[in-house]
Amino acid sequence: MDRRTFLKSATGAGLAAASGGLAMPALAQSAGKTLRFVPQANLANFDPIWGTQYVVRNAAALVWDTLYGVDSKFQPQRQMVESEEVSSDGLTWTFKLRSGLKFHDGSPVTSKDVVASLVRWSARDPMGLMLRAIQVELSPVDERTWKWVLKEPYPKMLLALAKNNSPCTFIMPERIAKTDPFTQITEYIGSGPMKFLKSDWVPGAKAVFEKFADYKPRSEKADWLAGGKNILVDRIEWVIIPDAATAAAALQSGEVDWWETPLADLVPTLRNHKDINVDIGDPLGNIGAFRMNHLFPPFNNPKVRQAVLTALNQEDYMRAVVGDDDKLWKALPGFFTPGTPLYTEQGGDMLKKRNVAEAKKLLAESGYKGEPVVCIVAQDMAATKSMGDVTAELLKSIGMKVDFVATDWGTVGARRAQKTPPDQGGWSMFHTWHAGADCVNPASYTAIRANGDKAWFGWPNVPAVETEVTNWFKAKDLAEEKAAIGRLNQAAVENVVYAPTGFYLSYQAWRKNVSGVVSGPLPFFWDVSKA
Amino acid sequence: MLAFVVRRIVTTIPVMAFVALFVFSLLYVAPGDPAAIIAGDQASPADVERIRASLGLDRPYLVRFGEWTWRVVQGDLGTSIFTNLPVTELIRQRIEPTLSLMILTLIFAVVIAVPMGVIAAWKAGSWIDKSAMAFAVFGFSVPVFVVGYLLAWVFALKLEWLPVQGYTPISNGLWPWFRNLILPAITLGLVYIALIARITRATMLEVLQQDYVRTAQAKGVAQKDVLFLHSLKNAAVPIVTIIGIGIALLIGGAVVTESVFAIPGLGRLTVDAILRRDYPVIQGVVLMFSLVYVLVNLLIDLTYTLVDPRIRY
Repeated sequence: MDRRTFLKSATGAGLAAASGGLAMPALAQSAGKTLRFVPQANLANFDPIWGTQYVVRNAAALVWDTLYGVDSKFQPQRQMVESEEVSSDGLTWTFKLRSGLKFHDGSPVTSKDVVASLVRWSARDPMGLMLRAIQVELSPVDERTWKWVLKEPYPKMLLALAKNNSPCTFIMPERIAKTDPFTQITEYIGSGPMKFLKSDWVPGAKAVFEKFADYKPRSEKADWLAGGKNILVDRIEWVIIPDAATAAAALQSGEVDWWETPLADLVPTLRNHKDINVDIGDPLGNIGAFRMNHLFPPFNNPKVRQAVLTALNQEDYMRAVVGDDDKLWKALPGFFTPGTPLYTEQGGDMLKKRNVAEAKKLLAESGYKGEPVVCIVAQDMAATKSMGDVTAELLKSIGMKVDFVATDWGTVGARRAQKTPPDQGGWSMFHTWHAGADCVNPASYTAIRANGDKAWFGWPNVPAVETEVTNWFKAKDLAEEKAAIGRLNQAAVENVVYAPTGFYLSYQAWRKNVSGVVSGPLPFFWDVSKA
Repeated sequence: MLAFVVRRIVTTIPVMAFVALFVFSLLYVAPGDPAAIIAGDQASPADVERIRASLGLDRPYLVRFGEWTWRVVQGDLGTSIFTNLPVTELIRQRIEPTLSLMILTLIFAVVIAVPMGVIAAWKAGSWIDKSAMAFAVFGFSVPVFVVGYLLAWVFALKLEWLPVQGYTPISNGLWPWFRNLILPAITLGLVYIALIARITRATMLEVLQQDYVRTAQAKGVAQKDVLFLHSLKNAAVPIVTIIGIGIALLIGGAVVTESVFAIPGLGRLTVDAILRRDYPVIQGVVLMFSLVYVLVNLLIDLTYTLVDPRIRY
């Protein structure tokens, strides 16, 4: 072969390779039935009991079905369950599965799988732990029936099994569910509407779900986690795009179809695009917050905490977090999610109007000795960084000394667990936010608990709050629940369990050739189609 | 030569051991707790403690370091705390995009920067030289992410010629693979071009003053041969050196470029692991990068013998 012949052959081979061989037609063929979705975060692990991050729960809702599902009215509805029965004394619950339910490996879903899954779930979930504490027996009765016998009635049983807060009661095959709840599972077999393609999973890049042909949806219309979960595409690809500007560009160019959490700054650009829809993503939004350490000066003194709360202006925080879009935030003179049945403003006056003079007076009365406030602020989270900057100014404005520790979220996560004094590696204050879905009632609202050592970071100890949490669990109707939550809210504000900085929402955006996208606490893929 | 190669490979062992000790110790004293991140915001302190224990993070430093070293010696970099996948598997998944990006950037940069530097030196003081050096200053000064966004906006959004993001494996075809990498390679290559072009120009200016160049010109040798055969070969050692040193620059730049173009490479794996405190992944990737860097340096040393026959080991 001479040089010219060689070059000709090489060029020919190059062109053939450049055409993409058989790969391109295959891609084009499947493109119409593949929905490409940009989630809020990377799916770094996939065990919804072991890791309770929301992104894991959102993906898990495709793969694992739940016994009950909460609907948009916050009511638990049957999902895998066909019927339930509770004894007249409220102590024995008997549940029956729907017939014909199958796991992705073809095996039938049985009550043994359910029991094992509930055992694993109840070790990690706050409501599950309560159930464990009063449990006499949890056991299968026959292939499709199981019973849960308790020492005392638990009126919130169906809510516990239906709630959308992490961890949900995802049902796994018994062999997988027997994994220690503090150890990750390695098989991702569920009975939900989509199968997880582990071989295609590249953490940090993509996760792929394929329609499960044997899924048996309910006949009712889908409503959040309740009703028929009909999947109208063959494949859903989660494309992880960490950079917001790149995700916006990918949505505009049609490389992805749906973006869960567009940055507020980029929304005007997306709105102006002819092929893109923008709407509120999760109507339950988020509650911004900073927590003060109740164990050490200066915030072990309730008057200092009240001084800070009195000087706080939620508008400052919300504008720092979401910008000038007034549709995205509202003031929150309380602790519960606006627009939900238990929302209350009872006792929230302290949060309604900023009063710096009163705050300074309270601080003077408290005997504040000028101890520095060790304020740890994660700079890698836009919301915490913005809130931290506002808080630093707030504290200075009332004459407090601030030791501002700019760090990252990983460090905040570790340091906030330290119970040592602030000047010995501990802390005085950190910023965070709570998903509104967690703040609709006390069941999953860890941050509102005020049971001292057992409470969330900051360790508030307010017996009045705990009394009302108990009253809510025992409440027989909505009126009783509301009364308990009103009193709880009042006690939490007066004692400043934590400082709510406001309620804020975020948008979601999707291409106009995608239909069926709804607002909800998680992205619901059922009934979503792509033209 | 063989003795030199063997000697250099043997010297990498203490270097790698030091890197391993340094990285492990650094992570041990660094603040942050993967258990708290795994447990999530709703977890109780007891849950966090139990997860920490299940991950073995509550054990003494020496025990953990000893176990890790023993595994590394056996070729096992451990398992990611978060994904539960072996670190070697995670690196395998990510190495192709990063390697593709780096090789393409390297080719692209060398092909542009070396002639640019040579011509700038040849036409020193002219508008060509000034333009080339202005371009080099621009390449140095503009951050990688700005160039990335700008290119994506023009070539992907406005002209719709190229994709905004993502990576297509080379097994899916040469063109789809190349198409995804054009913008990232240009983005990452810009600073590299600036570096190589400036060094090439400076070295060439020196070489072009040499007597043998004047002799070649006096003999009537074609200008391109004077520049690219006689002069460039004699200026090659510093240029090759800077290309090698620039590999570190590429590794650092790849982190940003991969984020901007959503390329699932080792750069993003590293950043994700650092933010989550996924210790085994951080340790594994840093070790791997160190090894690559040591090997690149060895390769550069060997390349010297090709460009300058006077150099012998």
